Amino acid sequence: MSNSTNGKMLKGKDLITIGIFSAIYFVINFIFMLLSGFHPMIWILMPAFIALFSGIPFMLMCAKVQKPGAVLLMGAITALIYFVTGQFTVIILATFVIACALGEIVRSATKYNSFRGNAIAFVCFSLGMTGSPLPIWLMRERFLAQISEQGMPADYIEVLEAVSSPGMLIVLFVAPIIGAIIGAFITKSMFKKHFSKAGIV
Amino acid sequence: MGAEKNRRVSMDPRSGLFLLIMANVVAFTQDSLKMELGWIGLLILLFLLCGCISAGIKYGLVFLAVLAIQWYVLPVSPKIIATSFSIFANYARRMFPCLMVGHLMVKTISLRRFIVGMRKLHVPQKLMIPISVTLRYFPAIREEAGHIRDAMRLRNIRGMEMMEAMIVPLMISASETAEELSAAAVTRGIENPAPKTSVIRLHMGPLDWICIVLSIAFAAAAVIM
Repeated sequence: MSNSTNGKMLKGKDLITIGIFSAIYFVINFIFMLLSGFHPMIWILMPAFIALFSGIPFMLMCAKVQKPGAVLLMGAITALIYFVTGQFTVIILATFVIACALGEIVRSATKYNSFRGNAIAFVCFSLGMTGSPLPIWLMRERFLAQISEQGMPADYIEVLEAVSSPGMLIVLFVAPIIGAIIGAFITKSMFKKHFSKAGIV
Repeated sequence: MGAEKNRRVSMDPRSGLFLLIMANVVAFTQDSLKMELGWIGLLILLFLLCGCISAGIKYGLVFLAVLAIQWYVLPVSPKIIATSFSIFANYARRMFPCLMVGHLMVKTISLRRFIVGMRKLHVPQKLMIPISVTLRYFPAIREEAGHIRDAMRLRNIRGMEMMEAMIVPLMISASETAEELSAAAVTRGIENPAPKTSVIRLHMGPLDWICIVLSIAFAAAAVIM
């Protein structure tokens, strides 16, 4: 049952694998999303934290499903469940679509089985979460007015305004890249130490 | 069929999804307290109608508690605590209706009916299978994590080692489950391209239509105001 004879279509087994690893990815993602409520800084660094810790489920899924569409489906499931928690905006949808599309392009260019290619795809995928704090910059006035109307305390908004300088916008995008690279290295050592030995990858 | 029918009133998965979309719209656009209270009250009523009486009452009490904390406790508590927790309370309030609808759907709509509903909405098979697996796998993760935590306690693992000791077994069991589940699903014909059939027949009842009409009304009011 090699990939070449089966074609590059996602089969039942691939879909189930994607579903299971998406569940684990989502749990990690959700933990950091809850933590981000405590301070604006954690919110801005949230994509980086998620990238740091979610490398293993993502890369393991990539190793198991070496076909197009896997990254896209994982993104779609995450986005759909976010929808349930009411944390979903059009901007996060847009960044997710872009990030997943980039990830798919990288994977197809690297023939799906190279670790480096999957790591770069993971960097792209991690950038999808930047859509969560991005409204602070994109629609600054409207966003701040909106959250103050919704009853956010004035000092929170002050802190938010203070930390969301244009410089922080760069941090917002660079931090997940660094986080994802470190996450990929952690994953690589884990693969070597445990998963290859156990015959999982 | 009789057993399915007379157990309790339950929503059609399609109207549940619709309600969820509307709950999101309301959560993002509304900013008046009356609207919020009305919307929450309506959802609690829906909980009661669907037979989840204790869950409905619990949600009502928790919501009142959040409001009380926000209005009476936080203004008099120290500044650092006040700032962090008022954001938390705020998030909680905004997420509340969506969480309620989500909880109600998970509780009253079985995964089987949900899948039939998605099939009726022409959700592609390729998206449907992973979503249903994901939803089903969440409780499994919780259970698995509990076992791993017990094992860690026995062996007295602390600090950074804990991360590794948690995630490695979790990943191994996840990939084993993936193998087993796919073997089971393939033997039951998941890859059969023919249209799937089901014993479950969905039909929209009066409750579904009432939900849809009321939620549209609320969403429209929230957008206009």
